[in-house]
Amino acid sequence: MRSSTSSSDPGLDTEPVILRDIPPGRWARTVMLTVALVVAAIGGWEMYWRSQQVVPAYGNSDGQWAEARRKVDEGRPNATVFIGSSRTQFDFRLSVWEEETGIEPIQLALEGSNPLPLLTDLARDEDFRGLLLVGITPPLIFQPGIGLRAGAVEHYRTETPSERLGTLLSYPLEATFAFYNFDLKLFTVLARQPWWPERAGLPYQPPPVRKIENMRRNRDADLWERVETDPEYNAIVTSTWKAILENLPPPPPPDVARKAFEDLLAQVTRDVEAIRARGGEVVFVRPPSSNWFREFEARVAPRERVWEPLLAAANAVGVHFEDHPELQVPTPEWSHISSRFEEQFTRAVVRILRKQLAERGIHRPELGS
Amino acid sequence: MLFNSLTFVLFFALVLALHHAPLPWTVKKGNLLVASYLFYAAWSPPFVLLLWLSTILDWFVAKAIFRTEVVTRRRALLAVSMLGNLGMLGYFKYGGFLMENWAALMSAIGVTWSAPGWSIVLPVGISFYTFQTMAYSLDVYLRRAEPTTTFLDFALFVTFFPQLVAGPIVRPTQLIPQFQAPVRASRDQFLWGLALLTLGLFEKTVIADGALAPAADAVFGAATAVPFSDAWLGTLAFSGQIFSDFAGYSTAAIGIALCLGFSLPDNFRFPYAAIGFSDFWRRWHISLSTWLRDYLYIPLGGNRKGWHRTQLNLMVTMLLGGLWHGAAWTFVVWGGLHGLYLGVERWLTGRFRGARIAGTLAFRVGLGLLTYFLVNLTWVFFRARDFPAAWRMIRAMLGFPPAGAALVLATHLVVTVLVVITGMLLVHGLMRNRRLEEVAARAPGWLTAVVWAGMLFAILITQGSGNAFIYFQF
Repeated sequence: MRSSTSSSDPGLDTEPVILRDIPPGRWARTVMLTVALVVAAIGGWEMYWRSQQVVPAYGNSDGQWAEARRKVDEGRPNATVFIGSSRTQFDFRLSVWEEETGIEPIQLALEGSNPLPLLTDLARDEDFRGLLLVGITPPLIFQPGIGLRAGAVEHYRTETPSERLGTLLSYPLEATFAFYNFDLKLFTVLARQPWWPERAGLPYQPPPVRKIENMRRNRDADLWERVETDPEYNAIVTSTWKAILENLPPPPPPDVARKAFEDLLAQVTRDVEAIRARGGEVVFVRPPSSNWFREFEARVAPRERVWEPLLAAANAVGVHFEDHPELQVPTPEWSHISSRFEEQFTRAVVRILRKQLAERGIHRPELGS
Repeated sequence: MLFNSLTFVLFFALVLALHHAPLPWTVKKGNLLVASYLFYAAWSPPFVLLLWLSTILDWFVAKAIFRTEVVTRRRALLAVSMLGNLGMLGYFKYGGFLMENWAALMSAIGVTWSAPGWSIVLPVGISFYTFQTMAYSLDVYLRRAEPTTTFLDFALFVTFFPQLVAGPIVRPTQLIPQFQAPVRASRDQFLWGLALLTLGLFEKTVIADGALAPAADAVFGAATAVPFSDAWLGTLAFSGQIFSDFAGYSTAAIGIALCLGFSLPDNFRFPYAAIGFSDFWRRWHISLSTWLRDYLYIPLGGNRKGWHRTQLNLMVTMLLGGLWHGAAWTFVVWGGLHGLYLGVERWLTGRFRGARIAGTLAFRVGLGLLTYFLVNLTWVFFRARDFPAAWRMIRAMLGFPPAGAALVLATHLVVTVLVVITGMLLVHGLMRNRRLEEVAARAPGWLTAVVWAGMLFAILITQGSGNAFIYFQF
């Protein structure tokens, strides 16, 4: 007998319609109890994290970065763009920069990442012809590729409409719930509990970086207050920096490293020239670091062998914190400035940049000069 | 769009509102069709054209096959459908693979030919919906079913969003009749559908992505070889990850369809409690294994043409089943191992049929564990990035790790894998001969609420990583 897709009669050799059975029960009451339990549990979880000084903040997601990157594509004539690593994210206050210059910068800095591939990316982007501020954290510019947050750039290139909408829908939740944070995911919290014994024979792995920031909608970020106020938490952060930096892969042989650095400088020269050819300008900033972190940086990437050649290759102005007392502000965990000093730092950098550019006869509308 | 995304929450809420609005049935079906196209276009709008192509092709081909009794014409029409669907699949999924192998073959005979760059993006779910539309034309060709008379119903069958991109691969006779009369979920159907959706998301977000993926990724992504312990832990983690990922998707799909009033068939029945490989394939990706049985194994002759031919048919079916999963020889080996297991099992079953020991509990448990052990060996080929990596893992799992093998899993990952996999095997064992609906029917309401709330809470605090389901890439 032949069945029909126009009929629900099962026929020989066909798969019939299977009507799923529904377990009998008082489902409405069950659902009400379920909802009540979930609300209570989530409320308790949220209260616990707020008691740990966690406040709602934006998630620094790949989608949030892609949204900022698309602002460059709008081709604003006087766009100001920041690239760099977490110091460039934390140390500047975008609203203060806007007060000083009249332009809100587009914050594209990515933590733990090398900004130079992004410099190349923007040099190739015909839409960009404004002011580019490149934050330099010396060891990071030697890592191959973008590094830790390369996924954000890939996400920008491949983002689907669904992901784009998902980012927008996520914002209200990020702004409401403190527990909605990468550092507070269930399995992340479980993994860092002290009760896990060391596994004999397991090679040492540096711990992951904990939460140290609170981010705003425009990717402006502050150092989390608890890093300053809680000595125990501060010690966790500084020991993490040490563990990561002390376990970096060994550098390549000197001749290989020299050649790689020469190639890097040549690429910087090409990139900066490409941006200037379109009417843009590139400036460099070396934000402050302190204590062990600063000593490490001075040892592996001395100023005279990295910062100075970089500026020379770019033929650009550069603001190094060591040259300006007003930029030598406290860095509670050695690498990022206290949020209380962001305003001072930001205003000082704008002022110094204006002065240095003016000395070269350059007046940029992005700096209001 | 992904079920485990905020975009889907908004999308599904809108679909439910429209589906429960006082609108004519045809309008509601039109809404579902448009919603399904939007669901698919949310990944990549241009690929909707492929869905349309597949839909139009099989709509006309099936009608033409039905209208003619001329054998050669029927065959030619079927060939058009096969060429269209398999051609599309071949171009997008296997093009690069074929080129690489052609280049290797040429090189082997001394001809220098380099494959051109092949950067074609694989349209999500293409393996699923092409098989679904081919089943429609094949059913009509094999005179198993008549074509439907309504294009809207057929288009919705091809595109129905809950199972569009990762199954279950539904047969026309299972779904199209459900579109003919107005359907609306009862309150209990709707709520049970939500419970299944929660279970599916829990499996995906908490078990697959949260608990097991870190260990599986660490082991299979390790730069060096790993020793016996980590090789097994990584493989066990992957066995649990892929089950929870795929069964999670299927369960969510069934729940979503149920919320709309439609019934989709089971795709998994606690496969890690399988005793033997025939049993495993009656429990794992059921909609694919029955598809391959009905449209490949049986047309090849099944078990009707003698022992040797049966073994060959089994092997061909499983090799192609492996290739269906991905354009790489590692998938072919995965399928080949399953074909081998099925063949050996068939031989042993024939030789020892009726043996008294076969009925004992200890023997059955032992056979179940042996099945799980052998299934795990196949997962190595499924997950490893290439053959050298797979061989390193197999060697380590058999107690002969390569020199320089180093541990990669921290204690918390070791404990997580052991706890989750032990729990999973216990659940599969206990549920081997039961259905979830039976268990839920017997459980008190408060207990169901506690379990349901626990899953929802775990989903919310795990937060998810937005990872796509593994089977989307197939």
